[in-house]
Amino acid sequence: MNKTKKRFTEAYLGIYGLWLIAFVVAPLLLLVIQSVSVPGQGFSLSNYKEFFTSGPYLAMTVNSVWYAFLITMVTLVIAYPLALCLTKLKHRQFWLLLVILPTWINLLLKTYAFIGLLGKGGLLNSGLEHLGFGPTQLLFTNGAFLLVAAYIELPFMVLPIYNALLDIDPLLPAASRDLGASAGQTLKKVIWPLSLPGVKTGVQTVFIPSLSLFMITRLIGGNKVITLGTAIEEHFLVTQNWSFGSTIGVVLIIAMGLTMALTGEKKKKKKGGRR
Amino acid sequence: MTAEKILEFKQVALAFGETEVLKNIDLTLDSGQFYTLLGPSGSGKSTILKLISGQLQPSGGEVVFDGKVINDQPAEKRRVNTVFQNYSLFPNMNVYDNVAFGPRLKKMSETVIEEKVKEMLSLVKLSGYENREINELSGGQQQRVAIARALANDPELLLLDEPLSALDYKLRKVLQTELRTIQRRLGITFVFVTHDQEEALAMSDWIFVMNDGVIQQQGTPEDIYDEPVNHFVADFIGESNIVPGIMKDDYLVHFVGKDFESVDAGMRPNEAVEVVLRPEDLDLTTPEEGKLSVTIKNQSFRGDYYEIMAQDDDLNLWQVQVTNPAEIGARVGLTFDPEDIHIMRYNESEEDFDARLEAYEDDETPTDPSDSADKVPEVFDHE
Amino acid sequence: MKIIERTWLTFAFFLLYAPILFLVVYSFNSGEAMQGFDGFSFVHYQELWQDTRLLQIVLNTLILALASSLIATVVGTIGALAIFRTQRKLLKETLLGLNNVLLVSPDVIIGAAFLILMTALGLKLGFVTVLLAHVAFSIPIVVLMVLPKLQEMNRDLVLAAQDLGATPTEVLTKVTLPVISPGILAGFFMALTYSLDDFAVTFFVTGNGFSTLAVEVYSRARQGVSLEINALSTIMLFVAFIMVLFYYGYSQKQKGKKTKLKEKVK
Repeated sequence: MNKTKKRFTEAYLGIYGLWLIAFVVAPLLLLVIQSVSVPGQGFSLSNYKEFFTSGPYLAMTVNSVWYAFLITMVTLVIAYPLALCLTKLKHRQFWLLLVILPTWINLLLKTYAFIGLLGKGGLLNSGLEHLGFGPTQLLFTNGAFLLVAAYIELPFMVLPIYNALLDIDPLLPAASRDLGASAGQTLKKVIWPLSLPGVKTGVQTVFIPSLSLFMITRLIGGNKVITLGTAIEEHFLVTQNWSFGSTIGVVLIIAMGLTMALTGEKKKKKKGGRR
Repeated sequence: MTAEKILEFKQVALAFGETEVLKNIDLTLDSGQFYTLLGPSGSGKSTILKLISGQLQPSGGEVVFDGKVINDQPAEKRRVNTVFQNYSLFPNMNVYDNVAFGPRLKKMSETVIEEKVKEMLSLVKLSGYENREINELSGGQQQRVAIARALANDPELLLLDEPLSALDYKLRKVLQTELRTIQRRLGITFVFVTHDQEEALAMSDWIFVMNDGVIQQQGTPEDIYDEPVNHFVADFIGESNIVPGIMKDDYLVHFVGKDFESVDAGMRPNEAVEVVLRPEDLDLTTPEEGKLSVTIKNQSFRGDYYEIMAQDDDLNLWQVQVTNPAEIGARVGLTFDPEDIHIMRYNESEEDFDARLEAYEDDETPTDPSDSADKVPEVFDHE
Repeated sequence: MKIIERTWLTFAFFLLYAPILFLVVYSFNSGEAMQGFDGFSFVHYQELWQDTRLLQIVLNTLILALASSLIATVVGTIGALAIFRTQRKLLKETLLGLNNVLLVSPDVIIGAAFLILMTALGLKLGFVTVLLAHVAFSIPIVVLMVLPKLQEMNRDLVLAAQDLGATPTEVLTKVTLPVISPGILAGFFMALTYSLDDFAVTFFVTGNGFSTLAVEVYSRARQGVSLEINALSTIMLFVAFIMVLFYYGYSQKQKGKKTKLKEKVK
């Protein structure tokens, strides 16, 4: 019987391993190879040299990270209280589904809605006009980019925080109140620290896609916010310079990998120490 | 006898929709006593605790603490602390921070807090564990931290919600004794919730037996064990043989087809009653000398005694605890003394029961009436 | 406290639904743009009904989402089993690490890497390439949903089944899979969500012949969109809402009355 079980395991490993090699390892490897094979030169690190010595690209990198950070913060500030309120509702499952529902409407459709809302003759502008302000250009601003990006990512931040909050033993807040902590103190000292794993997951799931929202930059940001994601898209699909596009991609991956490794290591150490 | 009233329930009720969890509870707690709420799960005992701590609000009646009605006072404003069943220690803090949680909220200086934490940890015999993480501790240690954490807040009343139920037998015994010692030393009122009657009998000054959201009986452990007021209490506390009977006259009871001398009185002639005989009060003898003739059906060794199931000629089963083994299938006699027979009337409330006891004890026997009628418990020492 | 909570909930739900309701309202506009409101009309729904190209694209999108989620669920479940069963620590960590690579990669990178891969393989950009890419980014999600269920599963269950004489195949189909089925289902729905919501990856690996709704809206948005897109959004929202209601009703029924009472007491 154990033999059959082993064969099963081997089959699983085989199928999954093949998949990983063909569709995870291979594409990433090709990306790396592409980044060091410059047309007309063969193998060359000139792309990397160019990237790290060029002012605009470095500025773009900082810009990408800064905007991704802002988007993440805005979503977190809205999502955390929302998740907290949701856990206290009677029909919380239903309300949670309503939070998830907008994710089933494609993000391009939602972006499109904002074009209508923020445009020159759009609802917000006519509202402002009624209040006595002249028509302002809301579309194609950094603020608009931030708003739309945060709007699209919001449910992805709420979900993990909500789950982490529900995982907290309800007796722990009760114990905190019992020991004399007010509702606010309980939130700060007990609920928030215990929900941190959910916050971390939320931050990750929002931060990463925020780096590749080139369509929003184009449609809403009016190409004013140029991020690494936009640059990659440009190199691959517009200027057809795959080699340089790949270079930016590899840099992005390494940067992500480093942050992941750093945050992941901390977690492991803590866990190990506790055991 | 000079103990002052610290907490009072006046007709406290709690219902969730149709479900009545508590039905018009009256109870009084005096300072410095060890109280136990004893009952099966769902009897409402933990609900009483939550009403005292402020986790729940009553739907009727008044909860009075130190002379003030505190029905709507939030938990954090009450000088009451709880030791939770699953410990509920904050997993994101170490032992020190858990114990210091309450004092820190009171904005005490860190030196005072440190002293307080040290004192509390030594009280629960965990000195030196300050920097341990919670999940490095065993269940028993976690429960000690939970006790220290609650006591560090200087409560007037400490509530313990089945705190020992997750621990193994030996550890439970040790912690029972320690809790009792801590309570004596600090002189704080403890309210202990448990479903374990043995634990309740061993620890308490005063026991409330609960079932179906009603206090069935209250009294000292001896009172409750020796004089159960109804079938539920007799069955729940200790082992019992309960058979129907008829009170033919004062001091004369009829059951399993025979008349027996008893020490109970004050009932209507020929009133239907229930008769309780504790297994440890029954003895085996020769069939000729026995008050009842029985056949040994079953026997099991329990360490310090043998538990025997015997059947009489009317097919009633009798549970007997004896120190010497018997032979299965043997025909033996069952014997007991008149004072071992305890009579319970159907639907007699606790007050009626106390009144009746007082009435005939005043008449006939020279014992101290305050024993069972007075609600102030005496300290009951088990160590 | 209650008032603050209510206010925040109202604010957040307003934020979440205002743009969507805006789309819905304008789907009934008789005018041609999301400006002003000329009058109530179903004209854009008629337009949509006659726009076979757009309807074909919607169908493509749905087929793509269903197919990619199904394949991803199967492979992902196998992957979770493989990771769970692997004893060697290094191999296990490597598998998990590789699994997470696509999860933490920004869409543009997945898109770019797959574009290079598909070209290297000589595949014509179209349905197949998009399908493979969607399957690829869905698998890690399924693995991540199923793996915890496997870890939570009481190991004695498997031992008990073996003890009672079940063969490994029977253990898998009669014990393991039913126990982890909530995770599998959750994984499937997450994959579906990601596929329906994707734009960037599709945009990279699709070719002339094949388009999804997102790509179509993107290209139309740059030329100015017709309100038939609003009509389409409204219908999609309606369907999604019905599904939510259905799912919620079903899950409530499953729960039964007992848990309800428990929650109340808490």
